[in-house]
Amino acid sequence: MARIIRTALAGATAAVVFSTAVWTQATPPQGAGTPPAQAEAGGGRGGRGRGRAAGPALPTPRLPNGTVNFGRIPGEKGVWAVPYVTNMAMRVVTGPGSSELVPEIVAVQQAQAAARAGGGGARGAGGGGGGRGGSKSEPWMPWMPWSAAVYDYNSLNESKYDPEGYCLPPGGPRMMATPYQMEIIQLPEQQRIVMIFEGATHIWREIYLDGRAFPEGDSLNPTYLGYSIGRWDNPDTLVVETRGFNENSWLDYFGHPHTDQMHVVERWTRPSKQTLHYEATVTDPGAYTRSFTMAWDIPWREGGELPEYICQENNRFLNRLEDDFGQPIFGPRPQPGQRPSTRSR
Amino acid sequence: MLALLIALALPAGAWAQFGHPLKGQWSGQWGPATSPTRLLLDLQWDGKSVTGVINPGTTDATVKAVTIDYTNPAAWVVKIQAEGKDESGKPVSIAVDGRLENIGAYTRLFHGTWTQGGRKGEFAVTRN
Repeated sequence: MARIIRTALAGATAAVVFSTAVWTQATPPQGAGTPPAQAEAGGGRGGRGRGRAAGPALPTPRLPNGTVNFGRIPGEKGVWAVPYVTNMAMRVVTGPGSSELVPEIVAVQQAQAAARAGGGGARGAGGGGGGRGGSKSEPWMPWMPWSAAVYDYNSLNESKYDPEGYCLPPGGPRMMATPYQMEIIQLPEQQRIVMIFEGATHIWREIYLDGRAFPEGDSLNPTYLGYSIGRWDNPDTLVVETRGFNENSWLDYFGHPHTDQMHVVERWTRPSKQTLHYEATVTDPGAYTRSFTMAWDIPWREGGELPEYICQENNRFLNRLEDDFGQPIFGPRPQPGQRPSTRSR
Repeated sequence: MLALLIALALPAGAWAQFGHPLKGQWSGQWGPATSPTRLLLDLQWDGKSVTGVINPGTTDATVKAVTIDYTNPAAWVVKIQAEGKDESGKPVSIAVDGRLENIGAYTRLFHGTWTQGGRKGEFAVTRN
């Protein structure tokens, strides 16, 4: 049996090692791997948690047609400081249009606060909700048996297979929860919106507002960010529906899975100049038994600009990553007679 | 440039798939190492059940039933029942009793016992 497994694994690993080697060859030599200076903008790896909106709420900027301006006012600088939402299940609200967390989350948060006040760990409540308690700690999530098992697996191994660790695009709502900066550029004369993201893979996203229908069948090519069509629900609210996701991403760092059957309806509002309120309703009949809605605020960073950040540069995580059998996922395997790696994971 | 073209030509499947872990194409073999039988499993997930085909072609077998025990999230116990025909056109039943491991890695592994017709042996496939 061991031999037949070795044969199977050797073939699969050879393909991955080969592709990695070719990729390395094709990539120009990098510098010391230090991310470009981002202190001014406060983004990048060190940008998490910064950029909270401060001061009194300023009026919502608007375009000449009266709809919300989700970008800069001409003559000013600024970017959206996307927050780090590691576990979207802790942002589930009671329904579309609501800002109220589901009661179970409120109870978990109260228990955690009580535990902290009593000197306990921040996880509290048995590690539930926001900790690493797995699917059982998030009973409000409409799990299917397989998605619960995958989430439990990702919890147990502490997300070591997170595709973002490979510098792959976050995909879907996770783009709005990955702690780098983002800019929204509205082009009303072209009836589309372009979003530019500093983080992940320097990726962009396009949203069509020209009334088109979704491509059907093979024309809807599955991608990380999917195919997005927007419409104004009212002058304050942009509704964006996205279909055509591939299965190469997670919903969040904690590892909530999704399938290519997922479609997402986002609602964007800008209640003040300093705040973008983001809401996403996820419907994925391949992974969850019903839809759920998540929401959070994204603060505006006045004066900010998009810095350059290259995730792939000097990504040593990949060289250390080992699979469940202790074998390196990328890079060379130990040679015969060579001691296996004893690096800590 | 050549290296880049080769890299771009590599199948996307070599990178990742984080949907239902059984979904996709799997390659490997079953039977004795001295005379193994090659395997190709093409499995789908529609949100309700796992379906698919074993060894697509003239002697393919259609997956009829799949049961999964998730007790250990890192090693699912998977049983597959399939029905097909052999080279002579006779009906043949396939029973697969295996474990799905290394679930998050590219080298996701499905291995165990393969029973086909009157023969029984070990099998191992990895996701393409």
